[in-house]
Amino acid sequence: MLLVTTPLVPVSVVGLAWGILGGALPGISPSIAMALLLPFTYTLDPTLAIVLLATAYIGAEYGGSIPAILIRTPGTNAAAATVIDGYEMRRQGRAGEALGISLWSGVVGGLFGLTVLITLTEPLSRLALAFRPTSYFGLGVLGLSVIASLSGRSLLKGLAAAILGLMVATIGTDPISGVSRFTFGSPELLEGIAPIFVMVGLYAVSELMRSSGAAEIPRQESVRIQFPSWGVMKRIRRAQGIGCFIGTFEGLMPGAGGSIAAFLSYNEARRWSKRPEEFGKGSEEGIAAPESANNAVASTALIPLLSFGIPGSNSAAVLLGGLLIHGLLPGPRLFEQNTDVIIGLYAGSFVAVVSLLVMGILILPACVWLVNRPRPYLSGFIFALVFSGIYSVHGTLVDLGIVLVAGVVGYVMRYFGFPFLPAVLGVVLGGLVESNYRRSLVLSGGDHAIFLEDPIAVGLLIAALLFLCGSLAREWREAARRRKEARA
Amino acid sequence: MASVLLLSVAAVYYAATVRIPISMLADEVGPHGLPTILAALLGLVGLSLGARALLTDRHLPSPTAADREQQGASPLRALGLLATGALYVPVAWLLGHIPALVLVLAGVAFYEGMKPSWRMVAVVGGGAAFFWLLFSVILGGPQPTGMLF
Repeated sequence: MLLVTTPLVPVSVVGLAWGILGGALPGISPSIAMALLLPFTYTLDPTLAIVLLATAYIGAEYGGSIPAILIRTPGTNAAAATVIDGYEMRRQGRAGEALGISLWSGVVGGLFGLTVLITLTEPLSRLALAFRPTSYFGLGVLGLSVIASLSGRSLLKGLAAAILGLMVATIGTDPISGVSRFTFGSPELLEGIAPIFVMVGLYAVSELMRSSGAAEIPRQESVRIQFPSWGVMKRIRRAQGIGCFIGTFEGLMPGAGGSIAAFLSYNEARRWSKRPEEFGKGSEEGIAAPESANNAVASTALIPLLSFGIPGSNSAAVLLGGLLIHGLLPGPRLFEQNTDVIIGLYAGSFVAVVSLLVMGILILPACVWLVNRPRPYLSGFIFALVFSGIYSVHGTLVDLGIVLVAGVVGYVMRYFGFPFLPAVLGVVLGGLVESNYRRSLVLSGGDHAIFLEDPIAVGLLIAALLFLCGSLAREWREAARRRKEARA
Repeated sequence: MASVLLLSVAAVYYAATVRIPISMLADEVGPHGLPTILAALLGLVGLSLGARALLTDRHLPSPTAADREQQGASPLRALGLLATGALYVPVAWLLGHIPALVLVLAGVAFYEGMKPSWRMVAVVGGGAAFFWLLFSVILGGPQPTGMLF
């Protein structure tokens, strides 16, 4: 009934198409494709807004495999593992076959991930029913610590990024006393800086800056997708199974992401394959495993987000931004008070995964056409899209200035190797972390022992400390190894 | 360099923190509480990064050509592109949405190395028309109207 009476189906298909096109463009990650959609979601019904973003994520994870196979350039990081055998198949004149395996494996991985999402999310969110302000504070600290530890190679840079994000979150009106902070007399800043501006600036604008002057991508002629035969489907099902399970596990781990899942799946598929010698030489399983993995991640990465409000990936962070735009807080309340949004998300994602079978074939010529456009025009169009979209949110040019500043900050962060996800998380969660911390102290009359009286908060804070210490130990070991190698 | 940058940001942020007005409605922590902690933490992280760079990163191999390619455009080039795109803001304020779009589409194309041609005119004109149609007509959202018109 939901699918028939609402525009859910066309919105799912539009989001899917947008995601595939965005993912097919090297340099446009799923998070950038989703961030560019955020301004459009302001005027949409909350359910449709979330469906649009989630289906764009699903589409982008598949779209990244198209240039990976055709021109040896992954459209997304998660498609990097697909290059190994995908491009080899293209060199052997089997590009259509490779794209067909990628498409079918994407659907299998997507359906598997969606099943896990539907099964696990609501029960997990019930754990959060026992949460008090102290627990939410602990959860926020844990989320920031985990993401800071796992994003990028340096814990210190991850922490610095998280702190910078928290600093941005303090701009605006203090939630308890009503005092204005860091607004410098500007009325536009009284409401704070919306996460959408930070995301679009960090992800999209900084990427445009980074890729300025880059060489054009080699031109690619279009090719027809060949859907795998029954025999091929049987041959690749073990690799798909491995990809689905690894993708599910990695999706649940905050900060792990699609690229880790893709490479792990590739390695494990090779280890368990009956024909491991074919890997690297155009193996069908070499495409099936990573593609099913990164499409499973697209759904399961939403589990920590929807259950606890902790986005496990850049794309999930953008989805969280979309939820917050409409005043929706993830967690058990979302399942109780906004059941329509959750059901809509599940239904829309299902429509997107199934539609992928048809859309993936129909949209391929458009993807190839887009990839072949001169990059200067594409850069100009993305700028125009950013400015038009951001202006339409509040109708003020100040917001464009914020996005441009965020772009500069993003470029500097990239230059020095600082990860984005902790910063985005800091901006998104900063208000919640601070207000729950201060609310807890109001309840206790300023006594910090209240945090020790809540076993959930204690557990979460200890877990955060363990994550940080573990990450620090790992870095010290790595530094010691480098020193040893340098002396040798 | 990153360490110096972080320390500078921490210092500026703290300087702004002490200027936050005191409120009679403030709780135990107050509006200064978290910003003060964040400034201190960022300073500490900045110092740690600097210390690490001095003590251990000497053993890191120098960046290769591949590393530099991974970093992308040079800062000057990147800022030039941003400045070109940022011209949208003053032009939109003065002349409105469509002239600003034309400027951005053409300006970025020029900056990125495209030569003037009839094809560029068609792309820029078509692009501006497309965005005007999408945002002003189909979505009906606000777009800059300009001071002069």
